[in-house]
Amino acid sequence: MSSRKSLIKIKPKSYKDGEIVKVSFMVMHPMETGMRKDKKTKEVIPAKYINSVKFDYNGKVITTMNVWESLSTNPVFTTYMKVNGEGKLSVTFSDSTGEVHEKSIKIKPKG
Amino acid sequence: MQRRDFFKQLGAVAAVAAISPAISFADEAKKLSGPNDLSYKAAVDAITGGKGAEESSKVNLKVPEIAENGAVVPVTVEVESPMTDSDYVKSIHILATKNANTRCIDVHLTPSNGKAMFATRIKLGGTQDVATVVALSDGTFLTATQNVKVTIGGCG
Amino acid sequence: MKGTIKIVLSLTLLWSLSFASEQFSMSDADREMYAEMLEDNPADIMVGNGSELLEEYCGGDAGLAEFLNVSEDELPAYIAGFPRYLKDFKQVVALDQVLQALMSKNGHKPFALKSSDMFDMGAYAKSIANGEKIQIDVDANKHIKESYELGKLTFEQKRGSRGLSCLSCHSSQVIGSVLRTQPLPDLSAKGNAPAATWPAYRMTKSSLRTLQRRFQGCMNNALLAVIPLGSPEMVGLEVYLTQEAKGFEIAIPGLKR
Repeated sequence: MSSRKSLIKIKPKSYKDGEIVKVSFMVMHPMETGMRKDKKTKEVIPAKYINSVKFDYNGKVITTMNVWESLSTNPVFTTYMKVNGEGKLSVTFSDSTGEVHEKSIKIKPKG
Repeated sequence: MQRRDFFKQLGAVAAVAAISPAISFADEAKKLSGPNDLSYKAAVDAITGGKGAEESSKVNLKVPEIAENGAVVPVTVEVESPMTDSDYVKSIHILATKNANTRCIDVHLTPSNGKAMFATRIKLGGTQDVATVVALSDGTFLTATQNVKVTIGGCG
Repeated sequence: MKGTIKIVLSLTLLWSLSFASEQFSMSDADREMYAEMLEDNPADIMVGNGSELLEEYCGGDAGLAEFLNVSEDELPAYIAGFPRYLKDFKQVVALDQVLQALMSKNGHKPFALKSSDMFDMGAYAKSIANGEKIQIDVDANKHIKESYELGKLTFEQKRGSRGLSCLSCHSSQVIGSVLRTQPLPDLSAKGNAPAATWPAYRMTKSSLRTLQRRFQGCMNNALLAVIPLGSPEMVGLEVYLTQEAKGFEIAIPGLKR
């Protein structure tokens, strides 16, 4: 599991059970295409891009993604989810070099 | 593997993925990754299993007309859908028609998303059409396209 | 007279600058779409990292407040008044220089002004003042007055092989003219007040940058010798543009093209 820096944001910050909220996952990742050359060394920078992402909410898979190198550096993934009780939202991704990363936050509906 | 076989296989996998987004996550990703040089038409065929997709006003594709920077182009796709167990958007695919690999991302949704929306930021190699293909739970496919002019904006 | 100045300036800048009617620019809808991206700003991750760094090396918000001789409640408004003349430093300093001194006092080797760790930590420190209005006081003492004058001079001084100054592209006469699809920004509080929104995520660089670092990029592009971060001229420029943006609400991190 990598120590890559990432962030999950839920909007609005305060929400009720049953509410549909916006979920964003952001991560510092180079998303290298393998087609760029290093300006100084002239060598090709090897490809390294996220190729799959998964959103889990209390053990249930909500959304999965197949990702290619066209996503921007430090990518952002935004979708919605229906709040369904207290628990944990986990985002897992793997990249083309086999790196795996997981980030979780607590889901705590108010009322 | 022959190129055509690869497309066939890709189509099959996409169809399976659309039925059950919860199938083995890593395997699915591995199979779909493949060589990164799918043309736009081949990619649409792969996603729709050759059926093609119909243009629809139910699909709202938001991209800038003029991108101030090709490295970070915002893309938002919203689809009109009740997102119930019997009627929902199964997947949203984003394609950059003229990038070396047209496929940017496949997003497999479930009724638990509550709303059929996905937003991200993509790299565009130059001025081109950005397209989205949307798979519905009834087995049909919708699409929307918009041109994005990529400029080198501002100073530095 | 104004018309003459405009013609002369436009001739000077003809190599790259053309006026709005001559070149397409982004639509309001496009601009709105870019503005919406602020909601999911990758720099939020960097600011989060900066918060951890401040905790580890400077004792967090409390440590910074103590070092600046203010209470934690007073800290946001106090930060909104930077750059300041500080007696202990015997000079006008920007926030990043304060953080360097505090790291050193706590027995740590200070981060270089140009390091990403310093950018992260500095961005977090400035974000403590989010929601406050910029309240720099350039009349507070003779030191900050001098710094402001030096900054103004640096802003207006024509340099480099093209004979350009910051003013060449940011005077009231050319603001709004379109340079490669982008309108030349008004740097004052009436415009987009960059002093209130840097540090920011720079999309073309995929990284967090500071105001002074942006000045360097600008100088580099205009073929001016680049002034070092933290130098009196650089701090002066920050003072000058912060004064221009006075009264504008601080919102860190920003998100820039």
